[in-house]
Amino acid sequence: MLQGTLIYGLINSVVLMLVALGFSVTFGISGVANFAYGALYIMAGYLAWLGLHALHLPYWLAAPGAVLITAGVAALIYWFILLRVRGLVVSEVIATFGVGLAILELFRYLGFIGFEYTLPQVDASYNIGETVVDAQRLLIVAAGLALAGFLWLFTHHTKVGLAFRGIAQDERTSLTLGINTDKIAAFSVAFGAGYAALAALVILPLGTIAVNEGYNVLVNALAVCIVGGLGSTVGIIVASLLIGYAQILTATYLETHWMMIVSLVAILLILAIKPSGLFGVHKELEERI
Amino acid sequence: MLAVKELIVFYENAIAVNDLSLEVKQGQIVGVIGSNSAGKTTLMNTISGLILDMRLKERRKGGQRITVMGQVFFEGADISQTPAYERARAGIVLCRERHPIFPDSSVVENLKIAGYLRTRAQVRQGLEQAFALFPNLARWRRRKAGFLSGGEQQMLAIGMALMVGPKLLLLDEPLLGLSPAMQTQLVEAIKEVSSRTGVTLVIAEQFARPLLPWLDFAYVIENGMLTLTGPGPELMTNPEIKSAYFGV
Ligand SMILES: Nc1ncnc2c1ncn2[C@@H]1O[C@H](COP(=O)(O)OP(=O)(O)O)[C@@H](O)[C@H]1O
Ligand SMILES: [Mg+2]
Repeated sequence: MLQGTLIYGLINSVVLMLVALGFSVTFGISGVANFAYGALYIMAGYLAWLGLHALHLPYWLAAPGAVLITAGVAALIYWFILLRVRGLVVSEVIATFGVGLAILELFRYLGFIGFEYTLPQVDASYNIGETVVDAQRLLIVAAGLALAGFLWLFTHHTKVGLAFRGIAQDERTSLTLGINTDKIAAFSVAFGAGYAALAALVILPLGTIAVNEGYNVLVNALAVCIVGGLGSTVGIIVASLLIGYAQILTATYLETHWMMIVSLVAILLILAIKPSGLFGVHKELEERI
Repeated sequence: MLAVKELIVFYENAIAVNDLSLEVKQGQIVGVIGSNSAGKTTLMNTISGLILDMRLKERRKGGQRITVMGQVFFEGADISQTPAYERARAGIVLCRERHPIFPDSSVVENLKIAGYLRTRAQVRQGLEQAFALFPNLARWRRRKAGFLSGGEQQMLAIGMALMVGPKLLLLDEPLLGLSPAMQTQLVEAIKEVSSRTGVTLVIAEQFARPLLPWLDFAYVIENGMLTLTGPGPELMTNPEIKSAYFGV
């Protein structure tokens, strides 16, 4: 029992981290709001499904295709919607949230509801001690480690990744250093959406692709980023573990549908106690939200 | 190398730069001298192209109207409409006033971000150059730039501007808010940059600053208008200036 809680708590934490990474790249590290994030996550799932079942593509084409199209759509959202309100954070949040709503509700309207909307998963399971863990969840953990590691390398050791940090801190200084801030911001939104799509491809196979999950994903990503502190990679890992285990404990000792409440409570608590988050690098969260 | 022709800048209906022309030759150290709100920063932002971005952002949020008239030429080409990041690529690099650094990043990371346009080898070279020029910075490599003193932040800001590989380096009040000792140290560093790299410098400063004697040429502006020109040392001994600004 205890061992099971430990293992499934860890897996749940990695799921949260995966969901939060892309959001963190865009909002935390680059300072560009993308509240269509949850919708892009779900869209990636539906795109992969359409690729597989409507176009009958092989998985190795459908999956990367979904990731690229999702990133492309995010770049278009930036160019046609975000760019006009860039720098006005409240407008950024409202505009992108509106786009997210539109995307999600469009899928609902088009009838993308039902048990047939699933993505293929790896079929196998292993015993870790006395706990049975399926291969898909192990894949999630591996993907989580790989994507977190890549993100760290990318934002610390590539020009574009370093520019992400630059535009978040001071856009004018970035301009004087030759950084095309609009282009970098667009790339950051696309990059974050690509991360969302990758997370969707490994996580969604655990259940069905559902419109409502888009809202949950946004709430979870927001919770992890706010609790950890915007822009902090370590913060994301710690916050994922905290919220991840809290959710599993809640599910074990209370009820499963209370799990979402944990994220919401976590957001409220941290905003009341330490608004910049546990490892916040930005002085004031209020500046961004 | 640089020519500004009949530049006029308005913020709404207030004129900040009024029919100003100036010229800078390769390798010179040129000063733009004026008291507070004389229009120095506006001029620097216009040369670097930042004003275009400010205008765009103001327009987007329906803020104040910024009007720019006149032309800026760099190496013979009219760059009046060239965005700031492209001017940086062309070699015009501005170091904004009040030490514009990235406070949440470490000293090394600041310099690396500044190396956006450069190759890896050039970034490595730039790091060495910055630490050789400002030994203080070398001590604080891993420290968050926001925790450095004002003088150290200014050194870092200059190091970052140099990292971009400027042909024309614009420094906006580099001595602002620094202790006299720090000012002297920075003046030495600026002279060294000029002689070692041969970069052309335009420096905006107020009057009573130790940089004046080293200016090949200076433009004195007042309320956005050119009032006097001449080599730096000459201006220092100009009786008009003395009475107006030094109270002698
Ligand atoms: N962003 C701005 N909005 C409105 N007025 C401004 C702005 N920046 C400068 N000004 C005005 O323009 C004039 C010149 O300012 P500035 O270029 O900052 O001078 P300096 O750098 O010499 O102190 C001042 O009267 C100032 O009040
Ligand atoms: Mg100024």
